[in-house]
Amino acid sequence: MITRDVVVCEAKPLRLVQRLYLVEIAKGLAVTLRHFIANLFARKYTVTIEWPEVKREYSERLRGRHILLTREDGSPRCVACYMCEEACPAECIHIEAEDVASSPTVEFEKRPKVFTIDLLRCVYCGFCVDACPKEAIVMSRVHEMAFASREEGVVGLDQLLQRGPFEKLDLGYRPYYGTPRSRIELPIPVKPRAGIQKGR
Amino acid sequence: MGNPEVRPSLPVVGGTGTAGAVAKQPDGSRVFLTTKLEKLLDAARKNSLWPLPFGTACCAIEFMSFMMSHYDISRFGAEVVRFSPRQSDLLIVAGTVTDKMAPVMVRIYEQMAEPKYVISMGVCACTGGFYRAYHVVQGIDEFIPVDVYVPGCPPTPEALLQGVVKLQEMISNGETRYQRALAAKRASQAQAGG
Amino acid sequence: MANREERLAAIRRAFPEGSGVVELAGGDMQTLRVDRQALPALARHLKDDPALDFKLLLDVCGVDYPGREERFEVVYHLTSLEHGHRVRLKVPVRENDPVVPSVYGVWRAADWFEREAFDMFGIRFEGHPNLKRILCHPAFQGHPLRKDYDPGQRWLLREGEQEEPAWAKEAQEDEDHFETQVLNLGPSHPATHGTLRTVVRLNGEVITKAETEIGYLHRCFEKMAETHTWNQVIPYTDRLNYCSAMMNGVGYALAVEKMLGVEAPPRAQVIRLILSELSRVMDHIVDVGANLNDVGAMTPFLYMYQGREELYSVLEACCGSRLTMSYVRIGGLSSDTPPDFEDSVRYLLKRIPKLIGDMETLITENRIFRGRTEGVGAISAEDAVDWGWTGPCLRATGVAYDVRKAHPYLGYETYDFKVPVAHAGDTYARYLVRVEEMKQSLRIVEQALERLQPGPIITDNHNVALPPKEDVYTEMESLIWHFKLIMEGMKVPVGESYGYTEAANGELGYYIVSDGGGHPYRIKVRPPCFAIFQAFPHILEGHMVADTVAIMSSLNIIAGELDR
Repeated sequence: MITRDVVVCEAKPLRLVQRLYLVEIAKGLAVTLRHFIANLFARKYTVTIEWPEVKREYSERLRGRHILLTREDGSPRCVACYMCEEACPAECIHIEAEDVASSPTVEFEKRPKVFTIDLLRCVYCGFCVDACPKEAIVMSRVHEMAFASREEGVVGLDQLLQRGPFEKLDLGYRPYYGTPRSRIELPIPVKPRAGIQKGR
Repeated sequence: MGNPEVRPSLPVVGGTGTAGAVAKQPDGSRVFLTTKLEKLLDAARKNSLWPLPFGTACCAIEFMSFMMSHYDISRFGAEVVRFSPRQSDLLIVAGTVTDKMAPVMVRIYEQMAEPKYVISMGVCACTGGFYRAYHVVQGIDEFIPVDVYVPGCPPTPEALLQGVVKLQEMISNGETRYQRALAAKRASQAQAGG
Repeated sequence: MANREERLAAIRRAFPEGSGVVELAGGDMQTLRVDRQALPALARHLKDDPALDFKLLLDVCGVDYPGREERFEVVYHLTSLEHGHRVRLKVPVRENDPVVPSVYGVWRAADWFEREAFDMFGIRFEGHPNLKRILCHPAFQGHPLRKDYDPGQRWLLREGEQEEPAWAKEAQEDEDHFETQVLNLGPSHPATHGTLRTVVRLNGEVITKAETEIGYLHRCFEKMAETHTWNQVIPYTDRLNYCSAMMNGVGYALAVEKMLGVEAPPRAQVIRLILSELSRVMDHIVDVGANLNDVGAMTPFLYMYQGREELYSVLEACCGSRLTMSYVRIGGLSSDTPPDFEDSVRYLLKRIPKLIGDMETLITENRIFRGRTEGVGAISAEDAVDWGWTGPCLRATGVAYDVRKAHPYLGYETYDFKVPVAHAGDTYARYLVRVEEMKQSLRIVEQALERLQPGPIITDNHNVALPPKEDVYTEMESLIWHFKLIMEGMKVPVGESYGYTEAANGELGYYIVSDGGGHPYRIKVRPPCFAIFQAFPHILEGHMVADTVAIMSSLNIIAGELDR
């Protein structure tokens, strides 16, 4: 249905001043000069991020490269249930399960023998993280990747497993608990500051 | 169509043998002067890449971010975007390439003068991504050789910057497809020439 | 607005019982089953009867039911701009005789939609002036959306096999007209913003004939949707109109939620609305900026893009990705907004008007810009409706049709905003409408922020939404729900629905058919660009070749949405 609640924006006829053009040039130049001077002298208006010295602080939901979390004894938390493989729209996850040799301390029956993710297939939608019932797969904030070949992009257990303690991980998208550590900083910080490590 | 085989199509520096009178290098392949000259040229090439954005889809929007003031690729010497393949030496394939588009991409690639480099931006260009479908090329390396693959859907501008930096490193280390093909050609020439 | 019975009575006046028009019961809108012999006369009647007044043909698509005796069904969606009512026509045809009369003579909008149905299903439209493949390449064999077509079956196109318009060859060979020249714009051209190809015949610098070819980014969205679960389609929808990914997801989720009979919680609805409107601003920034860039004004684009980068910061903090968000889930959203969401949106509400102001100072009254755009690419309101235009491009011709006002969703009827219209229908009018629309969108966001109350962000119906993670880790029942949803996907009741929202380019429609399984049976996207772009070659005729660039970017053609 056609609505009557409209605001009409018609082209206004040009006034003489505008037709003369010189005044308009001056006005336009004033805008660009304002930006130029602000950039030149007041560096806080500069918007260019000095990458790689300054890294833009993305939120803790950034969907980057995956991490397979481990239990305290260093074994993967993954129980090879194939849920992430099933949930993945790009079918980039490949799991082969193996039975855990029975032992009284082991409470899970299976573990992944092979767990590969084709980082060059993955669309970083985070559905694998949503699907995981054991919080075994999460995403990190590592998003600056470049490979020289397609084989390099297929990563296995050795490259995916968590390195170092959980608190030190550069965590990205994961099942969400509590308040995040990062803030949305606007305008986007562009200069190196204390607290942001060089070349994180 | 598209021949993934490497073939340097233009005469290469030092390949004409004008400096052939000078003593050979220990490895028997190159003359000293031209090797140094080539290092110099590589440094020049590395720091003044002229990209041709072959932007087809979502990645082209991130390519815009990569060009715009927040990321500003001119800090890496690659801001001169040219849409003519004759004027550019870095083909950035940004976005999904379909079977309908593939001949166009191959033609553009072939029109570029050597040395030329290819960055495949985004998973669609790298492998087809989640479009395992009837009309989508499953990786542009089916048709043209690729130097750097940048994952992400679409990659963040930082990731693409990383890709450009990696390509620069590869140029200075002589690891690009062009340089490897050149080295292979020279090695075979040296072998043939004794 | 006439009700359903009155509309049926108006149809029955010309088509009594037994004349091949049957009303089907139920459904989300009035549905008529039409024999193909009756279609041309019925189409004419629907358009011309003042009580019906179906002036706007939204969509034509095919559906394949291999089990049925009449295997294919051609589905038409119509709406009346004056009365606001809608109707769906279904024309069944047999596999061995898949011929339907074309309605191109009634609504020119049918042009490309019919070609697409031909390409995808092999249904022939009798009387169509130019029935050939549109999305797939000429070397393609078979019809990909038929159920028996293997999704992975590719056909290679070789150099030299590309399609050339017949007139282009003639013009090149015709030596008498040596001033005539044929020029290819695209598919890789700086001004095409994606992969579109326009072949123009020039007389000097004036375009005498033009034809566009699309399909260079045909990524098989509809086939991919049929092979994935309902939730897995969401990342694919993000890549339709990638300049404003959020709105596609919202449209899809609303359409599926309508079929499921679930509703997102109030907080999720408000967040969806805020992010949709911010996405609209983002989309218009790219479009206006690219338009200016193409006519030679680079600076405003640089300024406007700063705002876009900051918008990305907010979107990324909500969902984890800058562009392709995957934030929407059926029944709500994937996660709650971060705690500083409201503050950062308030910051943007102050910041973006400043950037728009800078751009307006530089451009709006600029004589050069106005000289390049005023009167360029003008289209009349009647033509625009006939071609199936919606969105800002239609509003620039003076037709104040906006889905947010006409058929409100997400509570748009409770917000105070105005619909910008202009009357010239040219490139400059489209620029003005878009700039004003950005300001109106920011007004909506401002009001919506006031209504943001804490609460759940996804429905607790476990047939639809994944249970909360804490429960999955600890409770057996939740784990079972979780497992069932991931492995089998949600089950959407048998039926069909056409969900429509106002995306950045116009009405984005999803025609969804479900057979009760875990995968969509058929999803047809009605991309707003598709209808707009089919008029493009006709607008071009008589313009200078340099105007092509200005017109194309002002129409905001997004290849991802156009070719899907």
